[in-house]
This record gives sequence, structure tokens and C-alpha cells, in this order.
Amino acid sequence: MARAFKSSMRGYSASLEAAERKLMRGLFEDVIVLLEPEREADEDPLWAMVGLDPNAHKDHFAAPTDPATKRLLPDADPDDPLAALEFRRLSERGIRERKIGALREAAMLMDSASILLSDETAPRFAAAINDVRLVLAERLSLETEEDAERIHAHDDWSKAESVDEYLALVYNFVTWLQESLMQAMLKSL
Amino acid sequence: MMTAMPDVLEHVEQVQALQVDQPYVLIVWNDPVNLMSYVSYVFRSYFGYSETRAEELMMQVHQQGRSVVASGNREKIESDVAAMHGFGLWATLTKADAA
Repeated sequence: MARAFKSSMRGYSASLEAAERKLMRGLFEDVIVLLEPEREADEDPLWAMVGLDPNAHKDHFAAPTDPATKRLLPDADPDDPLAALEFRRLSERGIRERKIGALREAAMLMDSASILLSDETAPRFAAAINDVRLVLAERLSLETEEDAERIHAHDDWSKAESVDEYLALVYNFVTWLQESLMQAMLKSL
Repeated sequence: MMTAMPDVLEHVEQVQALQVDQPYVLIVWNDPVNLMSYVSYVFRSYFGYSETRAEELMMQVHQQGRSVVASGNREKIESDVAAMHGFGLWATLTKADAA
């Protein structure tokens, strides 16, 4: 049985079963795949270092087409499509790299049954787990408060018969874990 | 001489300062995924808002669908938007007079 996050002397601690850690690691890795920029074989490493996209100068530079990726990287300026694209040229690569860094760190934390987050690691872990929830929500077509309530009502793993019911249970588990972490982090602010 | 004018003038100056120095605002939009606790945490830790102020802005997002969370020049607001996207919040920028 998983134990939710709580504050401890050394940071924030939780414990997860092997199957839960495997599940979480898989989710973190799925989101990394969504976010990894397409790299060209001859790409100058300088692009990655400065957080710019090597396609930034090209005319066909565009917003992500996958809705889950688009939710992770929304338009910054919905009133001005050109300005939104300009923002992507300059910022998107850096945001992707930061998210991937946090997700990789979170996936590695799943190696041990007892998870301990320092004050420095905790916000990155919270962001990584939040990105997982955003992607799951997109796959579940969670768009309204009513959808959220419908999904929240799934609580019995033995009754899950469809992929969506299983995804809903996964979503609720990840939500529960994030909420416990946020409550502990808010108390320490 | 006591007069009500200084207050009025001060207010006018503040409004003008807002228009000149802070022409952009950061808007955070409601979505049914982000936890209220997470949004409050981001507002407190990133912007340094008090618990009360962060809760107020978070409730505004939740109940009214959006909230103006920060204002400043375009460069500052663009960097705030990038930070909010890093946290996974649905944030956009717009001109202050359009918000």
C-alpha cells in the first residue's frame, strides 16, 4: 500500500510499492517522449545549451500538433498568433529541456521504495507529476469540472474493464500523490 | 491646506505609471486539472505572494475562469509566462489595456 507524502526532518517522504513505482516511472518516461524535441543528426550542441530550437529561424516553425503536447506548451499570446510563434521560437526549447530534466529526475526517484525529496527537488517533482496529470487528462478528454467529478468517481481497480477506466484510476492515484505533496509543501512555505 | 486632491493626484499618477511602465499582464486561466493547492504553491513560491494574496488569486482563477496575476514590461511578462508553462499552468500574456 502506498504511503502519501509527508514532511519529515530531511524533506518530504513517501513510499510506493514496486508496481506503483513501475507505473509512475512509465508515465514520467511517456511524457519525456512527448516533449523531446526532434534533433537533427548534425545539430550544433550550442542550440541545446542556449535553449533555442535549431528550426527557430525557419518559416514552418509551428505549434505542437499533439493536443497533450500543446497543453504542456500552450500559446503564450492567443490574441496574436505571430507573437505566440515568436515566443515559441525563443522559449519553447528551454521549457521543454527544463520539463524533461524534472521528469528524468522524477523517473530516477522511482528506483527506491522510499522516496525522499529535498526542498530543492520537491518543486521539480511536483511539476513533473503535474505534467503527467495534464497528459493523462488530455487522453481522458477531461475538459470540465463535471468530467473531473466523473473521473474522480472511479475508485475500484477490480472493476476497471476499459482502458479509460484504468486511465481514470491511474489519474486519481497520481492526483492523490500530488495533493499529499502539495499539502506538505504549503505547510513548509 | 487640507485637500482631497493629493489622494486623487496620487491615484492618477499611479494609473499613468501602470500604463507607461507596465503595459503587459500575465493571465492564468482555469482548468479542471491543476490542483488548487498546486496553483497556490506556485503563486506563493514564484511570485512571493502572501498566503492570503495567493489564495485570493487562485480562487479568482477557479471561480471566474481567469485572473491577472502579474504585470510589467513585455520582457518580464514573457519570462513569467515561460515560468508558468514550466510549472504546467495555463498562462498567457496580453496588453494591460486589453485585459
